[in-house]
Amino acid sequence: MQTQMERSDLTENEKMEAFLAKIDRGGKIEADDWMPDDYRNQLIKLISMHGISEIMGALPEKEWVPKAPTLRRKLAIMAKVQDEMGHGQLLLRVAEDLLAPLGKTREDLMNDLFAKRLKFHNVFHMEAPTWADAGVIGWLVDGAAIITQSMSLDTSYAPYARALHRICAEEKFHAQHGESIVLELAEGTEEQRQMLQEAITRWWPSLLMFFGPPENGTITSNQSANMRYKIRTQTNEELRQVFLKKYLPRIFHLGFTVPDETIHFDEEKDQWVYQQPDWEQFKQIVKGNGPRSAHRLNLRETSYEETKWVRDAIMSYGRHVG
Amino acid sequence: MNKETEVRDDFFIYEVFSQRSVSSSFVHQFSLLAPNKEVALAMARENFLRRETCFNIWVVKRDDIYGLSPEERPFLERLDNKSYRETRGYGDLQARWRHHREQYEEKQKHAESGS
Repeated sequence: MQTQMERSDLTENEKMEAFLAKIDRGGKIEADDWMPDDYRNQLIKLISMHGISEIMGALPEKEWVPKAPTLRRKLAIMAKVQDEMGHGQLLLRVAEDLLAPLGKTREDLMNDLFAKRLKFHNVFHMEAPTWADAGVIGWLVDGAAIITQSMSLDTSYAPYARALHRICAEEKFHAQHGESIVLELAEGTEEQRQMLQEAITRWWPSLLMFFGPPENGTITSNQSANMRYKIRTQTNEELRQVFLKKYLPRIFHLGFTVPDETIHFDEEKDQWVYQQPDWEQFKQIVKGNGPRSAHRLNLRETSYEETKWVRDAIMSYGRHVG
Repeated sequence: MNKETEVRDDFFIYEVFSQRSVSSSFVHQFSLLAPNKEVALAMARENFLRRETCFNIWVVKRDDIYGLSPEERPFLERLDNKSYRETRGYGDLQARWRHHREQYEEKQKHAESGS
C-alpha cells in the first residue's frame, strides 16, 4: 500500500513514550506504525515460530491421512491438514510484513527453518505411531494451542490478532475432531482403550512442555518483555494451569491416567501440583534433536523441492500472459 | 539437494475481499502472496473461504491501494458536534408528536362529553 511520506519530527524517545502510552490504553499497532525494534523482533520471533509450527504440525497428521479408519475420518483429517497449512499462510504473511523493513522475506524464514535457526513447537518433533496419537494430537495438542492462542486474541499487534481470530475458530473444529476420535476409542474395546492410554502416556511430557518453561526455570524466556508489550497477557505457567484444570479431570473421567503418581490439586493455591518435565530434553527437542525432527524437516524440504515445477510453471505462465 | 530456497522477487502481495451474499458488502479478509492475479484468486478461496458461504471474491494488488499514513489516520477521528447530521440529533420528535396527539385526544374527549 502507498501512503504519503512519514513526518519524523519526533525523537526516538518521544516515539517510544507515545508507543507505550498507546498500548497501555488498549490501542493496537499496525504493520506501518512506528514500533521499537525490540517489539518488532519479539513479534517476528513469536509469529514466525507460530506460522512454521502450523506447517510442521500438519506433517505428523498427514501421516494418518492414508491410514484413517473410515472415509469420514479421512475427510476430516484431510480438512484439518489443509486448515493447518492455511494457518501457516496467514501467519507467514503477518511475519513477512514485519520482516519487510529488514529486507527479509518468506524464503529467509524457510532457510532459517532448514538450518534449524527457526524453531517450531516441541510437539511436532514427536512421533505419532498409532491412530490414538492422531486423536490425542487433536484433543490435547490443539486444545493446548487454543488456550495459548485465545490468550493472544487481544494482543497489541492488530494484524496478529486478526489472524488469530480466524485461526481460533477453526482450531475449535480440530479439537472436536480429536475429541470425537478419543471418545470413540475410550468407549471401544480393551485393545482400543489400551492404545489410547499409551498415547496419553506418550504425549504427557510433551503437553507439559508445550507451554514453555516456567519463568524461574533454567531457560531464559522473553515472557516479561512480551507481557510489557502486551503481545501476551499470561505467563507460561498460568496457561499450563488453565490446560491442566480443563483437561486432567476429563482424562480421569474416561478412566485414564497420566504418568505422574504425585500429581494432585492444591485447593488452597487453586492449582495442580505436578512433576516438571525434563527441560533439558525440551531444549534439545526444540533445537531440532527430537525423535522425528530430522525426518519432518526432510519432508518439508522434499515437498519444497518436488513442487518446484509447479512454481516454475506458474512463473512461466505469468511471463507469457503478463 | 539444494538447501537454499530460491529468492523470489516475482511474487506480489494481494489483498483479498469477499462478499457473503448478493446483498452484503465486500469485506476485507486478509492478504496473500501470489505470482499473478489468477493464482491469487484461486488461493484466496483455499486460504480464507473453506467454510464460510461466499458469493464473490476480489483480489487487489497491495501496491495499487493508496491510503493514509499512520500519522494521518488520527485526523479521521470525528469531533462530536455533528448531531444535526444524525438521527440522534432529532431524538425529541417522538415525544413532541405524542404530546400533540394526547392534546388532540383530550380535546376530542371534552367535545364528546360536552355535546
